[in-house]
Amino acid sequence: MGLSWEEEGNGGDAAAPQPQSLTSAPAAHLLRLPLVQVKALVKADPNVMLAGQEASFILARTVELFVETIAKDAYCCAQQGKRKTLQRRDVGNAIEAVDEFAFLEGTLD
Amino acid sequence: MAERPEDLNLPNAVITRIIKEALPDGVSISKEARSAISRAASVFVLYATSCANNFAMKGKRKTLNASDVLSAMEEMEFQRFVTPLKEALEAYRREQKGKKEASEQKKKDKDKKTDSEEQDKSRDEDNDEDEERLEEEEQNEEEEVDN
Repeated sequence: MGLSWEEEGNGGDAAAPQPQSLTSAPAAHLLRLPLVQVKALVKADPNVMLAGQEASFILARTVELFVETIAKDAYCCAQQGKRKTLQRRDVGNAIEAVDEFAFLEGTLD
Repeated sequence: MAERPEDLNLPNAVITRIIKEALPDGVSISKEARSAISRAASVFVLYATSCANNFAMKGKRKTLNASDVLSAMEEMEFQRFVTPLKEALEAYRREQKGKKEASEQKKKDKDKKTDSEEQDKSRDEDNDEDEERLEEEEQNEEEEVDN
């Protein structure tokens, strides 16, 4: 599925530096997902000992990219059905159709 | 404590926002589709973390770092993510650096302020004396006028 990744439509433009309080989560304006929850997921893996700040941040950004990707791919399926509402089956179809999503097989069951 | 992927869901509101921004206007998403994507995202994080951890272990490190995650993306065949991730990482590092410098600057300013405050205090005392003298002179003038 040839989809372009140019338009991100997010805060990744590193907007003009705003005065941030030092106690706030780092790079809060670069992410939409709360780092705290991403870190909780990382800790859930018994094999992982520690994750650096950068690793947590970049993982969170990865998840955002993933969500955008799968949403767009699912939308392709919905479009074919001439629908404007994404349904669960569209997500399922995207998982089956896109090789990279092979690891997700069985997730929706 | 083994957590099932379904137990560690990411916030629905944020997931919905990301999805809506990725899609053209006028397209909506059913609750089931959103929760399916949310679950997939949780599984994705666990898979990516596990993959990244393998790279860390190969490098005999106990702490995951950013390059482990990037290597994991390539391993998982998500090379398309690598470039935007590198950009995000650079922006993050710049901001961290900026924050560090800002906090150091703040500290310097604070020290300067306490120094100058002490100077001001002594200056104010001098000023008060001057004001008193001025008032006296004014009073004297008034007296003269009355006379």
